[in-house]
Amino acid sequence: MDNDDIKSNILTTTLESAINWGRKNSLWPMPFGTACCGIEFMAVLAARTDISRFGAEAIRFSPRQSDLLIVAGRISIKMMPVLIRIYEQMPEPKWVISMGACASTGGVFDTYSVIQGVDQFIPVDVYVPGCPPRPEGVVEGLMKLQELVDKEKLSDYSIASDK
Amino acid sequence: MIKTKILSNIKNKFSDAVLDITEFSQEHILHVKGEYILTVLTDLKTDGFNFLADLTAIDNLTLGGFERFVVSYHLLCHQTAERLTVKAYIPEENPLLPSVETLWKTADWQEREVFDLYGIKFEGHPNLIRIMNPDDFDGYPLRKDYPRLGKKERSNFPVVDRGIKKKKRIK
Repeated sequence: MDNDDIKSNILTTTLESAINWGRKNSLWPMPFGTACCGIEFMAVLAARTDISRFGAEAIRFSPRQSDLLIVAGRISIKMMPVLIRIYEQMPEPKWVISMGACASTGGVFDTYSVIQGVDQFIPVDVYVPGCPPRPEGVVEGLMKLQELVDKEKLSDYSIASDK
Repeated sequence: MIKTKILSNIKNKFSDAVLDITEFSQEHILHVKGEYILTVLTDLKTDGFNFLADLTAIDNLTLGGFERFVVSYHLLCHQTAERLTVKAYIPEENPLLPSVETLWKTADWQEREVFDLYGIKFEGHPNLIRIMNPDDFDGYPLRKDYPRLGKKERSNFPVVDRGIKKKKRIK
């Protein structure tokens, strides 16, 4: 094997960037669709915008099999304990996209029964504005999340018990 | 027509119960004292108003009226396609009405909804529990004296941190 073969067949990288590369290109979303954003999210999956181009087409309706929670729609006070439980059931590492105005801020529903932004109670990584956001907006949010995943440092991770 | 026949007669038939009969936009509204509502509706059902199209409530706190709470029954006669609204008036203290679930099964969930949002109790209802709000919810949110933004129910949840600790939190 000569020198040129070695150059074209061996790739050197860090473990961190290899892991992050793998994670960011196979995000498995768990859609938490409670309103019209959930319907719009179906369009994100469909042929025109097609998030399988970003490796995120494996929609799981079980939190135990997913690593990306997409909160799509307004969350009522009766639904919030369910959302918290779903989030806690997801295995690490996990990320959250808050899709649309209602999930991010409560939107126009400033009433006793609607949570004014899910980020008060669960950590959110990317907010997608819109009412509902266009599919392109969700893809943009997904790409932003991929950037965040790519920049994560393994040394930043520690076990939860020491917090 | 059935409705004119009923309305011309009903004041004599239920002289204690009927408070008033009004007309709005060619639709008639029968105002009734709350405690007589089951007898009046039983009579109307046998006379032809066989279908309960809707059952809802009104809080008269700022509107005025015979009593504070009104439960309105929207009846429909399938034979002649006539509609009639019956309003039952109940006082503020101990709002209690007889349930019409025995007449129309559809009243089951609608009376639960009225109970959930207005706190009006229905005597004889088979399963009078909250239908939309959480079971431990305190108060009746569609009453006019309930604060619009609630009593902090919407901010009363545990805050979940990231399971992993990140030194630099992603904003």
